[in-house]
Amino acid sequence: MIMPLIKGLQITLSHLFKKPVTLQYPDERPQIAPGFRGLHALKVSHENAKCVACYLCPTVCPAKCITVEAGEDANHNKFAAKYEIDMLRCIFCGYCVEACPVDALKMTEEFELANYKRADFTFTKDRLLEKK
Amino acid sequence: MVNLTIDNTQVTVAKDATIFDAAKSVGIKIPILCHDKKLHPFGGCRMCLVEVEQMKGRLIPACTTPVTEGMIVRTTTDEIVKARKLVLELLLLKHPLDCPVCDAAGDCDLQNLTYEYKVNCNQFSDEKFNHAIDYENPLIERDMNRCIHCGKCARICDEIVSYGAYTFINRGIEAKMGTPFDGPLSCEFCGSCISVCPVGALISRPFKFKARWWALNKVKSVCSYCGTGCQLTLGVKDNKVLTTVYDENQGFHNGQLCTRGRFAYQFVNSDNRLTTPLIKKNGKFVEAGWDEALKLVSEKLGAAKGSVGALTTAHLTNEELFLFEKLFRGTLGSDNIDHSAGYAHAALTEGAQKAFGTVTSPSEIADIQKTNLLLVIKTDAYETHPVLGFEINLGVKRQGVSLRIVSDKKGKISRLPGAKTSVHKPGTEIAFVNALANVIIAENLAVAGVAGLDQLKAALADYTPEKVAAVTGVAAEEIVALAKEYAAAEKALIMLPIGLGYPGHDAALAQAVANLAILTGRIGKEGSGLLIMGEKNNSQGAADLGIYPKNGGLKGAAIIDGAANGQVKALFIAGENPVVSYPNRKKVEAALEKAEFVVVSDLFLTETAQFADVVLPAVSFAEKNGTFTSVGRRVQQINKAVKPAGLAKSDFEILNDLNAALSGKRYGNVAEVFGEIAATVPAYQGLTLSGLGDEGAVLPVAPAAKLNAVAAPAVPAAAGKLALVTGSALYHSGTLSRFGEGPMYVCGDAYAELSEADAKALKIEEGDAITVKSDVGSVSLKAKVGKRLPAGVVFAPYHFADASINTVTDGAAVTLVTVGK
Ligand code: SF4
Ligand code: SF4
Ligand code: SF4
Ligand code: SF4
Ligand code: SF4
Repeated sequence: MIMPLIKGLQITLSHLFKKPVTLQYPDERPQIAPGFRGLHALKVSHENAKCVACYLCPTVCPAKCITVEAGEDANHNKFAAKYEIDMLRCIFCGYCVEACPVDALKMTEEFELANYKRADFTFTKDRLLEKK
Repeated sequence: MVNLTIDNTQVTVAKDATIFDAAKSVGIKIPILCHDKKLHPFGGCRMCLVEVEQMKGRLIPACTTPVTEGMIVRTTTDEIVKARKLVLELLLLKHPLDCPVCDAAGDCDLQNLTYEYKVNCNQFSDEKFNHAIDYENPLIERDMNRCIHCGKCARICDEIVSYGAYTFINRGIEAKMGTPFDGPLSCEFCGSCISVCPVGALISRPFKFKARWWALNKVKSVCSYCGTGCQLTLGVKDNKVLTTVYDENQGFHNGQLCTRGRFAYQFVNSDNRLTTPLIKKNGKFVEAGWDEALKLVSEKLGAAKGSVGALTTAHLTNEELFLFEKLFRGTLGSDNIDHSAGYAHAALTEGAQKAFGTVTSPSEIADIQKTNLLLVIKTDAYETHPVLGFEINLGVKRQGVSLRIVSDKKGKISRLPGAKTSVHKPGTEIAFVNALANVIIAENLAVAGVAGLDQLKAALADYTPEKVAAVTGVAAEEIVALAKEYAAAEKALIMLPIGLGYPGHDAALAQAVANLAILTGRIGKEGSGLLIMGEKNNSQGAADLGIYPKNGGLKGAAIIDGAANGQVKALFIAGENPVVSYPNRKKVEAALEKAEFVVVSDLFLTETAQFADVVLPAVSFAEKNGTFTSVGRRVQQINKAVKPAGLAKSDFEILNDLNAALSGKRYGNVAEVFGEIAATVPAYQGLTLSGLGDEGAVLPVAPAAKLNAVAAPAVPAAAGKLALVTGSALYHSGTLSRFGEGPMYVCGDAYAELSEADAKALKIEEGDAITVKSDVGSVSLKAKVGKRLPAGVVFAPYHFADASINTVTDGAAVTLVTVGK
């Protein structure tokens, strides 16, 4: 009867002398594990987004939160005239990154996505472009 | 029949089948890149290799090898798979891997086979092609770097379209699918080549980058332009019709379309669509609500009652036309209802009515390929109904049909193998046809015992070949020869296109040609008879449903006159654009200006709608359900693909609301009205909307043939004047295709076509601005110079709003004009 109680208190006591696992966020920052799936970024190459508007990511996205609209540039090439992700619906599965045939999309370590207005969760192409 | 075994399955097929056909008939899929069911076997891609027990030692192409009795075929063995993989590797050696930006992805045979055969590496390596890509063409983008040399585009353009825009140029590794002298593509723009291209080498430019194939919602419908009644599949996304999708199993035409059906769908999504009712207040249109607009309209119509005039277009569905008739003839009690200017349907509603006792012609589209001799009245049959033109091409080239044309000009079909065109003076077709009948009777080629033969003989006594030769300008021997050929053919079919551009193709001409068919006993026989080709998608339906004055009411043009002189107190115009398409534009405009009250329901603020007091926004074929009845009496369903633009309502809703407001019956839905049609229109008896299915139903016909002698009208002539004939341009249909974008890229301006001789005499060159002047008015057009016209004849299409040809015409078959720079 008394033994389990003692065992429990032992565990509690031992923790008093261990380093705490909680972080004093935001003063302390977490170490982000490799492969973490945070906010998306559209990769840039030669000053332009690499995305060729193939529509594979909106096709594969299980949350149906990506909107792409293709355009034709001056050289008749395809580019994403519109690229938007609705972060409120995104489930951060990373399928979009996996589907991209031209490696134009990645997921960053950015996880602080809180905001005040619904509209602010719609990440347009400008906001998604990779920051160097 | 031949029996063989394919993959252990017993197959029995006709003896002219190939192994590929035989496999397909039992659902065994053999991969292939260079074959389309409409084309002759080619054997170019080597994907369809199979193993035949009796021909061991090598692999056999299934698409070109005919079946033989007892053949044992295997379609997938390790060796075959290896060979197919090799074919794909070799194709991918040159084919760029740009699927992410290629519009064909998802619908690409090469992509699908590469995936199916798991070709994920290549044992060979080479440079890719570096051909220049044709970005200039407004409708067809050609990227020959993606071409896999299947030759389908060249074959469909040659075998079916009979245009021949492509051929392979150069040899070996340099070979490329090219145009004449590798120049820009300038053709009929039917888009057939795009539809069969297995890869993305040919793509539709208006659809370029608009959506991926798999994201499109595919909705089956029927083309809303001409009377051919081609079935279409609309590619829809986000409430927009983005393209037409090819389906080789659709319709009698196996998915084949003309430029209008393929590229002229953009009017559905146009930004210029009317989205709200408009009421004219102090000379200006003001947006209004439906309640206000309909209240005003029903008050005015109710007040005018029997003196209402109502015009409609034959683009409306059968159900809408039914309500149109119920509202105006029934509820309001006016017989002043008509469509197509009153003359463009007369061949059916008066001609066929007198000749056969029904408002329809006795033959079907299928008869075109079953006949032995085709007699086409006017080469324009190709321009008015291009896909029926393809049927003519196929009949002549594949079935050995003899083609005879009676026309005032040559045309594309005149160049078909063995075709003979008798080019007569404009406006003399009835005299010509009467002469044919005269010869048939005189030479005792008429079937014995035809009722009324003697009267006809007497009435046509004056139309001897010699006399008619003087009138028509066709040699008497030619007339006699044609009459004999026609009479001698085992099966013979006459094709008569009608429409707003052809005032001469009236009731009399219909009876004259019907006489030929009746005299030679061609009515009610397969592959024989007469096919009257209604201009619009539902011209036949409008005739069936009685959209024409029946009890002495005013006819199309007279309704317009009535609006001017006060006889018509309120004028309702549904979708028709008389300002552009009816004779004498100035007169129509003046009449509409003077009219007491005009209501127009249309998709756009057309030239006619500008004159209206109330404009009601209507919807296109893609935004409603219903049925159309095509040439050859096939009733087919259209399906709603997108939501109506803005507040627009279908004519069904508009007419139903008005009918109810004027204390007529309110009908439930389209199916209910179709049920009413089936119950009240004899030909539609027993049909149900759901029973129509994808194929539709061909209405039965029981012609009671009767000979009617008709007199040829006098043809005006004056020295120094040219004879203007109007008609349809290949890229357009009616006045709606102008809003379809596609046609406007390739044929955007009104033009007049002159013969080389006249052009030379008048010092006019292609592209010059010319003035065409008649007693009625004058108009400035772009000149086109063509070999096909005889001297003294000018041709002008009627579709264009700016510089419309009805500025100079007044409803006569031939208008005398002077042409100058
Ligand atoms: S992470 Fe998943 S849910 Fe989020 S956008 Fe990508 S595919 Fe869609
Ligand atoms: S999958 Fe890649 S290239 Fe395609 S649309 Fe998405 S980000 Fe762009
Ligand atoms: S669009 Fe039609 S006419 Fe033009 S090349 Fe293609 S198949 Fe031939
Ligand atoms: S363009 Fe297309 S249809 Fe024509 S040969 Fe090349 S792959 Fe075949
Ligand atoms: S316009 Fe006529 S021929 Fe062309 S696709 Fe439409 S129905 Fe067929």
